[in-house]
Amino acid sequence: MKHTWMRAVGIAIAVGIAALLGGCWDNRDIDHRSLPVVMGVSLSKDKYEVVLQIPETSSKGVNLRILKQKGRTINQAVDKISERMESSVDLLHLKVILVEKGYAQQGLTDSIASFMRSRDISPKTIVAICDEKLDPFFDYVKKSMTPRGTTLYDCFEKNAGWNPQMSLTRIWEVYRSIHSYTRDVAIPIIKSGRNGTIDYLGSAIIKNGRMVDQITPEETLLFNSFNGHSAQGKIEVMDKASVMILRSSMRHRSKIVQGTPYLYVQITVKVSIVETKGSVTSQSINQELEKILMKRFSGMLRKSQTREADILGLGQYFRNKIPRTQLRVWRESYLPKLRMDFRIKSIIQNDGYTKLS
Amino acid sequence: MNQQIQKLRDQFSENDDFFMLQDSFLGTPVVLLGLKSLIDVVPMKLSLQTYHAAAIESHITLDAFKKVLGEADEAVGAHEIYGSILNGKLFIYFEADDSFVIMDPIPRALNRSIETPINENVMQGSQSAFTEDIATNVGLVRKQLQSDHLRVHTHTIGTEEAKDVALVYYEGRADMDFIRRIERQFAQNKNKTIENLQQFSKEILGFPTWSMVSKFNQTELPQEAAHSLRKGRVLLFVDRLPLALVTPGMLWDAFCLDSDRNFPLPLMLFLRTVRVLGALATLILPGLYVALVSVNPEVLRIEMALSIAQTRAGVPYPAIIEIIFMFVVIELTIEASFRLPKTIGPTITMVGGIILGQAAVQAKLVSNLLIIILAATTIANSTIIGLQQSLALRISKYVVVVLASMFGVLGILEGMLLICGYLGSLTAYGIPFVGFPNAKSEANRG
Repeated sequence: MKHTWMRAVGIAIAVGIAALLGGCWDNRDIDHRSLPVVMGVSLSKDKYEVVLQIPETSSKGVNLRILKQKGRTINQAVDKISERMESSVDLLHLKVILVEKGYAQQGLTDSIASFMRSRDISPKTIVAICDEKLDPFFDYVKKSMTPRGTTLYDCFEKNAGWNPQMSLTRIWEVYRSIHSYTRDVAIPIIKSGRNGTIDYLGSAIIKNGRMVDQITPEETLLFNSFNGHSAQGKIEVMDKASVMILRSSMRHRSKIVQGTPYLYVQITVKVSIVETKGSVTSQSINQELEKILMKRFSGMLRKSQTREADILGLGQYFRNKIPRTQLRVWRESYLPKLRMDFRIKSIIQNDGYTKLS
Repeated sequence: MNQQIQKLRDQFSENDDFFMLQDSFLGTPVVLLGLKSLIDVVPMKLSLQTYHAAAIESHITLDAFKKVLGEADEAVGAHEIYGSILNGKLFIYFEADDSFVIMDPIPRALNRSIETPINENVMQGSQSAFTEDIATNVGLVRKQLQSDHLRVHTHTIGTEEAKDVALVYYEGRADMDFIRRIERQFAQNKNKTIENLQQFSKEILGFPTWSMVSKFNQTELPQEAAHSLRKGRVLLFVDRLPLALVTPGMLWDAFCLDSDRNFPLPLMLFLRTVRVLGALATLILPGLYVALVSVNPEVLRIEMALSIAQTRAGVPYPAIIEIIFMFVVIELTIEASFRLPKTIGPTITMVGGIILGQAAVQAKLVSNLLIIILAATTIANSTIIGLQQSLALRISKYVVVVLASMFGVLGILEGMLLICGYLGSLTAYGIPFVGFPNAKSEANRG
């Protein structure tokens, strides 16, 4: 009997402690939180301007609210927005961070570090660059994307509107590139769309958190397939035909001879023919395809070498060949000297449902 | 008249169903005593006359005739006589030599016949169910399990109020230590009165009272009972209880029925998986709702988050209050549908379930999603076997809900851990509740 009493008292104490110290009164229900999906950030005259795109739910559907504030830090600006709203702003569901081009060119290092540090912004958030002022862009967003809350995000979502020629870079990848000696990233550049939702202009080459150059969507496709992102289902246009890349695989060998890095890369692309113009043979398509891919790739490599930004991550293949003290200067001393033997082999896996005449 | 008869008459004087008839056997006057409510008097007399006529024809002595009628034990005390009359026996007193015979007369039909189970549904299995009569129940088990290894021990427990308890086990498969332990408990507590299973479990077998899960797994089905016997469990029958108490009860009893094995193996596995999923869904779903809505909305996909926020727009209470409120309504509905006659049960279910739920949503008291969760939980709750287990499950989900409201998704984990720990701590005489009935060790027992 006494034992039972002791146990009952013990349980009561445990429950009481859990209830009193749990801190559960700070929990806010989901309908009292504002869940911004897109955050725009720009920097002018040492002040951040933050724009939040918040889907507001009502019984009728979703409305978009665009709220702007300026602040010394991004957090201050977000807090100011939160102050002025009836529900609290919760960045947990932030999906896309849109950075104004000017700010990206100045360098994103601080912001990316603080996004990584903050507990509520997920490191998986996609980073994109906006090639116009944020105000007109978000005005356009409000005007054209109102019925659904997540349209802009869907453009980047792999199982929704993402295309293989779009680069897809998360905050953690940018953060990694800032601190890595041998790898840089490409960030998609977008603009309010004339036809369609948004215009995709290509990707920005980000070196140590700063935008240094830009590559075209076609080059981005190659960049994606080089980095192992599925390039499947992509249509590659040529003079005579367009083909769909079914799968691509890559083999590489690297060596260092007297301080000069040599890299041999062979990419095998398996394609399917989608459309042809005039009379073509599979041989001519193969040749054409190899030529085009070769040209694009060398163009991208040249850009990467002149800008000393290793978006292809070529330095990764030399990490075990260069001492760490030297790896620090990979971008400046080795990358420009890199000799690359690049080969593309294309295989037409099928001609579609009809034979190639 | 004998003193003993006088005493018996005094004892039964307040009972109008007590009868005392004068008769004579082979020229000797006798007195017949019994209870009219337990003995069918007219057929009883007819059968006595048949016996009597046969005895006259074959010219047997009075002593031999006594032996034909029943046991003639001189040593039986007054208390036993009293008990046997209460038990429905006929007491025949021979005035000439002051001796008596206790006879098994034709009883009144106070037992129902063997019927189909009421509280359990059988899919493709034996349809007969246990009844109130303990002998019938043991007989049903014997029919189901024809083996010379089956052992039945009957005990009468209680002095003031007697109750028959039968212990049935499969010799060679059951754990003999366990059986000896039960027998010892019966012997120790022979004089205690049992009115219900709570008392039976606490007073007689010495199991703890504050246990969420019963030590007995109850079944109405002889097939299931026989199966547990083969698995080395022990059956306890209590007279007037149309159930077999399978002890020790085990966790897997809630998921596995023997009649599942009448299906092909893949179908059986599917059925059992569904039951396990049902139990998990009952425990997790309500907690998950609370956790995702109020503590960890970041776990949801944004589309989902927005649509949940939309269904909750305008709901005044926090998720925990909302869900507890609706659960109370559901519990009331379930309890009411047990209490109500079968004819209006469905009406209440409809009013409670559909109309109340819909109205609560429209009145913006609760969110749409909650109603879905609630319905799913209530349905999933009933997938597991046994009313008691499902009730225990129904209660344990509140632990998860409350913890989820405090600690979110982590709280669900904590709740599950708590429940698993609790189940793991349960034992019956050293046999763990979460153990598997292991065929290998069964072969070594006994």
